[in-house]
Amino acid sequence: MKTLIIGEVVDNKLSSGALEIVTKANDLGLDYEIVTVGSEESPNIGSESFKNTYIKCSENKLSLGSVADKLKNIIEENTISLVLAPSTYVGRDLIAFLSVDFKSSQVSNVINFEIEGESVITSNSINGGESEYNSKISSPNKFLLIRPKSFEEAALDLNTNFETVEITSEDPEVFDIFIEEKTGPQLEDSKIVISAGRGMVDSENLSLVQDLASKLNAAIGGTRAIVDAGWMPYSQQVGQTGKTVKPDVYIALGISGATQHQVGMKDSKYIIAVNKDEEAPIFQIADLGLVADTLSIVPKITENL
Amino acid sequence: MKIAVCAKQIPDPALEITYNGGNINRPDEQVLDDTDRYGIEVALQLKEKFDAEVTVISMGSLGTEKGIQQALQMGPDGALVLEDDSLTGSNSLMTANVLSELSKKVEADITIFGTESTDGYSGVIPQQVSRMLGVPCISYIKAVDIDESVTLTRQTSTGSEKVVMPANCVLSVTAGGVEPRYPNFKDIMAAKSKPIERISIADINYDAQQNLEFVDIKDVSTTKQGEKIIDEGEGFQIIIDKLKELKAI
Repeated sequence: MKTLIIGEVVDNKLSSGALEIVTKANDLGLDYEIVTVGSEESPNIGSESFKNTYIKCSENKLSLGSVADKLKNIIEENTISLVLAPSTYVGRDLIAFLSVDFKSSQVSNVINFEIEGESVITSNSINGGESEYNSKISSPNKFLLIRPKSFEEAALDLNTNFETVEITSEDPEVFDIFIEEKTGPQLEDSKIVISAGRGMVDSENLSLVQDLASKLNAAIGGTRAIVDAGWMPYSQQVGQTGKTVKPDVYIALGISGATQHQVGMKDSKYIIAVNKDEEAPIFQIADLGLVADTLSIVPKITENL
Repeated sequence: MKIAVCAKQIPDPALEITYNGGNINRPDEQVLDDTDRYGIEVALQLKEKFDAEVTVISMGSLGTEKGIQQALQMGPDGALVLEDDSLTGSNSLMTANVLSELSKKVEADITIFGTESTDGYSGVIPQQVSRMLGVPCISYIKAVDIDESVTLTRQTSTGSEKVVMPANCVLSVTAGGVEPRYPNFKDIMAAKSKPIERISIADINYDAQQNLEFVDIKDVSTTKQGEKIIDEGEGFQIIIDKLKELKAI
């Protein structure tokens, strides 16, 4: 099945989301090429093992509509039937636009997929990961948005061998581009993640989480509730609409464990949960659950480490 | 200025979602999806500044229309809703087709959405509607500054960026982007007399098709034999010992 994987440039290299899909495409023996979207000058996105086309846009334009126009041409010219993109902001916009162009609805939040003749069977995680919802796509064009961390990242030597297509467009102007500073361990690749929820009561108490995290060299995450409340930037949200993490140890502090949060962390190797509500759903997926007052126990752990 | 703002009625999010075959069970009484309140708030702020006319658009089983009333209570002028049995189990594109037609019916300059519904989570409807309408989509808006022009701050994977709102466009607003207003008693009473126009699929230009087929729902739950300990003062030590055992420290 002729396949296109949509990647992005992150830290001047091919995004991990795209490299994860490459692993699955290799497993299935798919005939695939990659199109990578970015605005960098010479990113490391090429490889000897696949064809990569770089769609280079101006960072000062909101040009994803024009990028989709270009992708549409590539899909038609190369008779591609399966298009796979990581479920990121960029991926979601592009797959949505293309699904309209080809009159084939996408499947979102896919965690796995298989080929069955000319059809594709997709799996979604529902009920906080306790059930899998399977659908079949039989239309000629198939568009899938893949959840990050669904597959292992392919280990490849990346280079700068690729064909570049520049986009110049009349799209809306973008200004005041702000890059959040990345300091300390990052959620995506830290071995220990400590996440906070409403049970931390007040944003000021997050300093307790920070103290513990710096002692353990851990990354810090949060639930949608506290991100919405403005305690943490969106980039630190773990869950259905945030990041998916799979660290060796996940420590959930004052998190009740709504299914939307569980989807983003349930596959961590070892889960420690502290919550004062004995009935909190987080205890159903925790390896070690401690019913305790989170605010008083966190500083005690930090002091005694 | 005319604005269409999308409101989805969903089952009470406090209850677990249940399925009938591949479709979510929808009780007669559904509520307004909280994530739509952010889009409605943006629509109302634009209404106040530019004297815009704001119409709630919605598709799906209407039932008691509680969720539509909740949307109207916040302050929109009226609603245009579409219910049709043939739309049960719609894919995203079918939904987007209906909503883009509803937007056209109210001659909207600006069409506003949340970013993804709490029950379906497909997260692509605003972008699909924009493509169907042939206007730009300003997605994932996290802040709105309304002056003579409107400056929208978008969430990006690395931070944020700003865009001036075009005269014709689709917006998707993230939760937390603005503070949705709470209706008071007067607003609640006033909403009851606001016009709700109910139309059917025959009244719009609809040509989307189902290309997805439900296969099954598989139970993949793994009962975890985790320990649950009630802290009696030494809880912190239990965690430290475990972290040592796991070689995390």
